[in-house]
Amino acid sequence: MKHIKFWLILFLTVAFFSCTKLNERFRSELEQGNTSNITPAQLLISAYNSLNGPFQTGDLWHTQEQTSDETIAPTRGPDWDDNGQWRMLQTHTWNDNQSQIRGAFNGLLSAQFAASNVLQFSPSAQQAAEARFIRALTIYAVLDGYDQVPYREDLTNYKILPKTLKGLEASDFVVSELNAVMNDLPSTGAAYVANQNAAKVLLMKIYLNKGVYANRAAPVFDAADMNQVITLADQIIATNKYSLNSVFYDIFAPDNDVKSTENIFTLYNKAGDRGGNVQGCTFQVSHYNMNPAGWNGFATLSDFYDKFDAIDQRRGMYYNYPASLPNPGKRQNVGFLVGQQYNLTTDAALSDRKGNPLSFTRDVKIRETGSNLEVTGIRVLKYPYDYGHLNDQNDNDWVIFRYADVLLMKAEALLRTGDAAGALVIVNTLRVKRGVLPLASVDLNALLDERGREFYWEGWRRQDQIRFGKWLQAWQEKPASDASHLLFPIPSDQLAVNANLTQNPGY
Amino acid sequence: MRQKLLLSITLMCFCFLQSFAQQRTITGSVLTKEGTPLSDASVTVVGDKTGVRTGSDGTFSINVPATAKQLQISYVGSESQKVTIISINKVTVVMETAAQALENVVVIGYGSVRKKDLTGAVASVQAKDFNKGTYTAPDQLIQGKAAGVLVINNTGQPGGATTVRIRGTSSIRSGNQPLFVVDDVPLSGGSARPGGNGDNGGNPLTFMNPNDIAGIEILKDASATAIYGSRGANGVVLITTKRGKTGVPVVDVSGSVGISNVLKKLEVLSANEYRKTLADYNVGTDSTTGRLKGDFGNSVDAFDAITRTALTQSYNAAVGGGTENGRYRISAGYLDQQGIIENSGLKKVTANLTSNFKFLESKKLSLNFNVLVTQTNEEIVFGTAGVGFTGNLIAQALQWNPTHLLKKPGTDSAWIDPAVGSTTVNPLAELNYFNDRATVNTVIASVSPAYKITNDLEYKLVYSVNRQVGNRKIQTNRLLNDQGSLDRGFAAVRNEEQTNTQITNTLNFNKQITSDFNLNAVIGHEWLTYDKRGTFEGAQDFTNVGLNYYDYLQFSTQNSRGVGSFADPTTELQSFFGRAIINYKDKYLITGTIRADGSTRFGKNNKYGYFPSVGVAWNVTQEDFLVNNSLINNLKVRLSWGKTGNQEFPSGASLDRFGFGQQSISQSNYGNADLKWETSTTTNAGIDFSILNNRLSGAIDYFYKKTTDVLFEQNIVQPAPGGKIWINLPGNVVNKGVELMLTAGLIRKSDMNWNIGGNASFLQNSVNGLVGFYETGELRGQGFSDVRGQRVISGQPLNVWYLRRFEGLDKATGQSIYSDGGNTLYYSGSPNPKMLLGLSSDFSYKKFSAAVNMNGTFGHYVFNNTAASVLGIGNLGTRNIAKSILGGSVQEAISNAPAPSTRNLEKGNYIKMANASIGYRIGNLGKDIKNVYISVTGQNLFVITKYTGFDPEVNTDAGFGGIPSLGVEYVPYPSARTFQIGVNFSL
Repeated sequence: MKHIKFWLILFLTVAFFSCTKLNERFRSELEQGNTSNITPAQLLISAYNSLNGPFQTGDLWHTQEQTSDETIAPTRGPDWDDNGQWRMLQTHTWNDNQSQIRGAFNGLLSAQFAASNVLQFSPSAQQAAEARFIRALTIYAVLDGYDQVPYREDLTNYKILPKTLKGLEASDFVVSELNAVMNDLPSTGAAYVANQNAAKVLLMKIYLNKGVYANRAAPVFDAADMNQVITLADQIIATNKYSLNSVFYDIFAPDNDVKSTENIFTLYNKAGDRGGNVQGCTFQVSHYNMNPAGWNGFATLSDFYDKFDAIDQRRGMYYNYPASLPNPGKRQNVGFLVGQQYNLTTDAALSDRKGNPLSFTRDVKIRETGSNLEVTGIRVLKYPYDYGHLNDQNDNDWVIFRYADVLLMKAEALLRTGDAAGALVIVNTLRVKRGVLPLASVDLNALLDERGREFYWEGWRRQDQIRFGKWLQAWQEKPASDASHLLFPIPSDQLAVNANLTQNPGY
Repeated sequence: MRQKLLLSITLMCFCFLQSFAQQRTITGSVLTKEGTPLSDASVTVVGDKTGVRTGSDGTFSINVPATAKQLQISYVGSESQKVTIISINKVTVVMETAAQALENVVVIGYGSVRKKDLTGAVASVQAKDFNKGTYTAPDQLIQGKAAGVLVINNTGQPGGATTVRIRGTSSIRSGNQPLFVVDDVPLSGGSARPGGNGDNGGNPLTFMNPNDIAGIEILKDASATAIYGSRGANGVVLITTKRGKTGVPVVDVSGSVGISNVLKKLEVLSANEYRKTLADYNVGTDSTTGRLKGDFGNSVDAFDAITRTALTQSYNAAVGGGTENGRYRISAGYLDQQGIIENSGLKKVTANLTSNFKFLESKKLSLNFNVLVTQTNEEIVFGTAGVGFTGNLIAQALQWNPTHLLKKPGTDSAWIDPAVGSTTVNPLAELNYFNDRATVNTVIASVSPAYKITNDLEYKLVYSVNRQVGNRKIQTNRLLNDQGSLDRGFAAVRNEEQTNTQITNTLNFNKQITSDFNLNAVIGHEWLTYDKRGTFEGAQDFTNVGLNYYDYLQFSTQNSRGVGSFADPTTELQSFFGRAIINYKDKYLITGTIRADGSTRFGKNNKYGYFPSVGVAWNVTQEDFLVNNSLINNLKVRLSWGKTGNQEFPSGASLDRFGFGQQSISQSNYGNADLKWETSTTTNAGIDFSILNNRLSGAIDYFYKKTTDVLFEQNIVQPAPGGKIWINLPGNVVNKGVELMLTAGLIRKSDMNWNIGGNASFLQNSVNGLVGFYETGELRGQGFSDVRGQRVISGQPLNVWYLRRFEGLDKATGQSIYSDGGNTLYYSGSPNPKMLLGLSSDFSYKKFSAAVNMNGTFGHYVFNNTAASVLGIGNLGTRNIAKSILGGSVQEAISNAPAPSTRNLEKGNYIKMANASIGYRIGNLGKDIKNVYISVTGQNLFVITKYTGFDPEVNTDAGFGGIPSLGVEYVPYPSARTFQIGVNFSL
């Protein structure tokens, strides 16, 4: 037995010395405790990138546009049923598991985290200010849609539930954050870097909508808030940095970072560098037989289209730009596409997949059942397609804040404080620039229409319709909805895990 | 290939002619006491080196010198026997202890036991019982062969992925495949085969040559699997490869040639039917052609154009032999399996060496040395399910307008005609213009010295290295009218490599302590490391110069390029384990096992998991009151309890991590320091019995498996990095069921044998304690964007269907009617089979033998996504539709939107004639060619089912958010029916 003990001891010794500590060694990622080489600039790029998902024709965009009176995603026979998700948005019959409503909430909060994370890595004063601006923007967007904003203060312990900022608490927080970082933000430079004027536009948005955040069903707009909007607008105007573009589509062109004199805050898109899905704007409307071949989806409603004058640049035009196709027939290639469409290289008339003329109809229904269901609905192309990067990352920067919005927000604040004449001057300045005749007078309805004509498909329509009290009314292809639809539901997946959230009324 | 075949036939004929007058032939059979034929018994001439082995029917035929007087018959575990052959030419030998030998040894992991000492639920399938035919991976050999084991060939793609579930699906999120162990070497479950856009993954076991496999043991309950600790929860499959046998070198050669065709074609409209339907729907006439709109005036069958009668060839040769002190087996295999879709197939070359040596005068030192080398080459067509609305190759062929030519008139090239619709892709173009190849090289080497310290105590070391290198090249020609590739072209190259190592130290103690009391114990230490990394490059914008784009990527444009690389965190698993089997009087058996597993993956608060099990068994037949009975030959009652684990979550999940984007860094997750394995606690009760001279034997098992600490990637409370966090759920998944296995020897005579066997399993599964619900089962196709059809939610079976309820077509409008207008979705049944069935039978009469194997699954629902979104009525006028849409009482409107609903949810019940084989044992041809056996085998002969898709045996990968799906069919690579002829002989 003696030598058995020897062997046993030897065995255990061998086993013992071959023991390892079982520490993970990372090779393609950096793990906690090994992040000293991370620079805040690298995290800041990620924070900017995190806005691409929700904003650039992403889930946030869908929740603001597909729910409104300027966009429709018709079910086209075998296409676009998608389990009814688009019809839910259009008809205000969404539930707490609606795909885009869930995606926007999660995407924006994820962006909040990315922004907050920059602050953990000893950023410079400006980097910290940019990150806090991005964070404020996401908080504002969640507040606007859901009223409740989970806000995580301690980024290191995920087990601590984020506190919930509700309603005015959230808007006050955004205001205090923006004021705190204002001086550290740059006053000049590219629009895709957070800047003082961008922060001021965001402040204007908050003040303008504060009455809504206080009482969404019956908002009261406080004169002090309106005066804040006017003051901030005047400060931006006084910088003389911005002016209205003479050619409307320069604002959205592939080289809009150079051409646009209006853009105050944009999301950077550059082929081979970084950016978001700006070409989704084209794909989501473009018919399969157009160039680029798209998914033949969304359209606008004829009632909305009819708000435009024929001479309005914003309704559409032949836009000649460096990254365009030859377009020998000088066909309309931006704006609202209605009627026969053409090959922009050869000028041949296009057909649909069944060989019928590719001619977009004015009329559109939420469920298309006719034989022409491929071509129904007026298509909307606001961002001129970057044919220089066909099917690749396009260069058009995504516009979030621009000068025309500053002007029209100021006009609205004037109107809401009784200065209709002041408002009319601003509105008519804009209208003339866009190639239409000035109005004789302006009231809230006219202003909402003007905002629609100016900012269609830019992601403001839901907010505007709510602020102007039109949201719950019936419109073309949409029945009247009840007051619970002023807010989106808290998505069920977050409600299930976050005890600090309560479901919004009516869901 | 024909030449090779010709050569083999010539060779055979040549051998016929050889005969030697000074020899004579002895034939005979070797049987067990019970009359069961004993295969693989060694028959040698005493005093001569001549030797043969018995075939599967127990017979042999040996040429002996005229002077030979005696034959020696030997069989593993039996006393060898000598029989006199003076003046007799036919002998029948009964091996006295053969019955024991047959059931004797079962491999159980880190050792083996006599079958009667087993306390756990272990199914053992030996080579002679494997499914017949040509298979690419070992899991296919046991489909339908063992109770409680579900094997699904996910698609018909040669070398394609399989789904293997032992006793149901116990994990919601992490891997559910069992642990595979090849000759003491545990496999990682992964593969270095890079992913690509042609398919949905391959079978990581394809590197094995099924011809090298001697037997497969399936460990099912915790008593059996707990020795594998944190990897045992999904069951363990032990693969034992063939070994050389003592004696003169024997060369075994086998070859087979087979042809395959599509098992089932989906019924779409012929050109004439299409025209009639266009007329019925009043689509109108095209003024230029004078024909109906959508009628191009021709007649083609696109599905026929992309499919073919495919040839499969398989050749194997093995040399085995040796002495008491050194045995070896060297084998080589070649498989060339054409796919039934043109331009697809699998080629595999394998070489395998196994050797066993004994050293020292005392023979106390021994050494096993095994090397396996494989190369697989796959040619893959565009058959992935992850496609947009333009579909994959199979969808494109099904949808092709049957009135439009595939080839441009007067040319031999695919016709890309905008007239059929810009989004309609010509399947012939897809076939020719998409190119996807995967090559994987595998080397597994293991060296295992063992030293007998005493007669009872042995130390053994296993060191193995498993290295795989994979490469994939993909391209899409710029001519293909695929959105994104047209006029640009696309090419990508991906490389992956993985290296896994193993060091296992074990001490085995096996001693008859008293005459009544036997102890068989093992303790061990194991250290496994896993290492995987890869790179990829992709680019666009090529011109056609007659070369493959992926061979000159530098031509591409800068903006279109994408590159990346990854190296998984090094993963290590360190374990300590022990097992003791106590046998008292052969009546009472107790097995206790424990394993402690430590893994780099686990969170720092839970570095080690402990997995105990205990099993008891009572051999009732050893009791005095049964010892002398003639009815019951064996009756054993088993009971076991134990815990096993599952640690299939990605490395790094327990730590906060920061990942890299282009010039940017972002936090990619929150780490969970408490993260650990999930635990399955299994209780098993079973009875093994054998009655009527072992004519009827079987087993019944009941199991209850509760999985707790369920690994799950839960939605994280936002704001957070990523959307999810790996946690151990407070809830549980319960799988319970009953398994039956029955084998009957209906006829057991010296020249005729007939056995039938069957197994059935009844499974039930439910999820509890999940917070909220999670969606999976991604349904795809036109009009099916962002649609999931399955949920994981408490109180329902895993992956329960959640769909609109279809109530028929509206008579007035031809539109679908759904319950509650389609605004409500309903729980609509489970995709998990309630019953699995396997049936097999073998028959032999003299030199003829026959075998059939059938399997089936019952009680589950399959979503026919192919019918739902590929062949819907909306295609009419541009593309083809399913025949089944027509002929109903209501004419469906062309504009009726296809929607994920119960309309396409079908019962998945089926029973399949999986394979059948008849063979004839020719015996010896002359002096040199022995044991010639020829066979004809059919695979996938027919399916009995009401399911309307290609094949109810299907599992298209429709996982979402990392949660696997089950029971979706979406334009899979179609299943094949194969007929083959095979020849085996020895030299």
